[in-house]
Amino acid sequence: MEPVNLFGLATKQAQWLAVRQSSIAGNIANANTPGYTATDVQPFEKVLDQTAVSLRATQAGHLGSGATDASFAIKQQDYTGSIMPSKNTVVVENELLKAGEVRRGFELNTAIVKAFHSMMMSVVKG
Amino acid sequence: MDALTSALKVAASGLGAQSERLRVVSENLANAQSTGTTAGSDPYRRKTISFVSELDRASGASLVDVGSIDRDHSDFPVEFQPGNEAADEKGYVKMPNVNVLIEMADMQEANRSYEANLQVVKQARDLISMTIDLMRS
Repeated sequence: MEPVNLFGLATKQAQWLAVRQSSIAGNIANANTPGYTATDVQPFEKVLDQTAVSLRATQAGHLGSGATDASFAIKQQDYTGSIMPSKNTVVVENELLKAGEVRRGFELNTAIVKAFHSMMMSVVKG
Repeated sequence: MDALTSALKVAASGLGAQSERLRVVSENLANAQSTGTTAGSDPYRRKTISFVSELDRASGASLVDVGSIDRDHSDFPVEFQPGNEAADEKGYVKMPNVNVLIEMADMQEANRSYEANLQVVKQARDLISMTIDLMRS
C-alpha cells in the first residue's frame, strides 16, 4: 500500500529505543543493588532479521511472531570484566554512554519522520 | 505500559531508594556522638541500608526498593571520659560505631547515583517531548 515502509520501520525503531531506555533506567536504578546483573535489549539489526522471516497472523488468535514488544525482551547481559564483591555488574559510565546513543538515535528517528511527513504533506497539498 | 513511562517509573524508584540511603547516612552522622545515658550503656548503633531489585509486573522492568535497614554489629570504640554520664566505673565511655569518613563516602556515592537517576528522568522526558513534537510539524 505504502511504497516506502518507512513509518512502520521508524515506529519499530522508536519502540526499540524506548525499551532500551527503560532497560538503562533499570540498570542505573539498580547500580547499588547487590547481586543485580546488568540488562540490555538485543540489537535492532537482530530484531529486523527476525521480522523478515516472521509469520503473518491471518486470524485473530494466532500468536504473533513479528517484532512485537515481546521480541525486544530485556535480557541479562554477560559481563566479562572484573566484578565487584557485591556481584553487581552495572557500570554507570557504560549506561550513560548507552543513554547518549539512545538519545542520538531518537533524535535522528524523529527528524527523519518529520522530514518524510513534510514530504507527504507537500505531495498531498500539491 | 509504554516503555518510556516505565523508564520514568524505574528512575523514580531509584531516586526514592537513594534518598532513603541519604536519610540513613544523615541519621548516622547526626548520632555520631550519641552515647548512652546510664553508666556502661550502649551508645547509638550505626544503621546500614541495602537495596533489592524487584520486578514490576505491569511493565517487566526492574525497579529498585529498599531491602532492609539493619544495624552494624561491629564493636564500639571506647574513649576515656570520666565526666560523661555513660562512663563505666573506670571512666570509659562507649562511643557509637559511626566512622564519619565512611558516612561521607557513602553520602557522595548516594549523591552520584541520585544524579545518574535524575539524568535518566531528564532524558526520558526529552524523548517523550521529541515524540510529541512530531505532531507539531
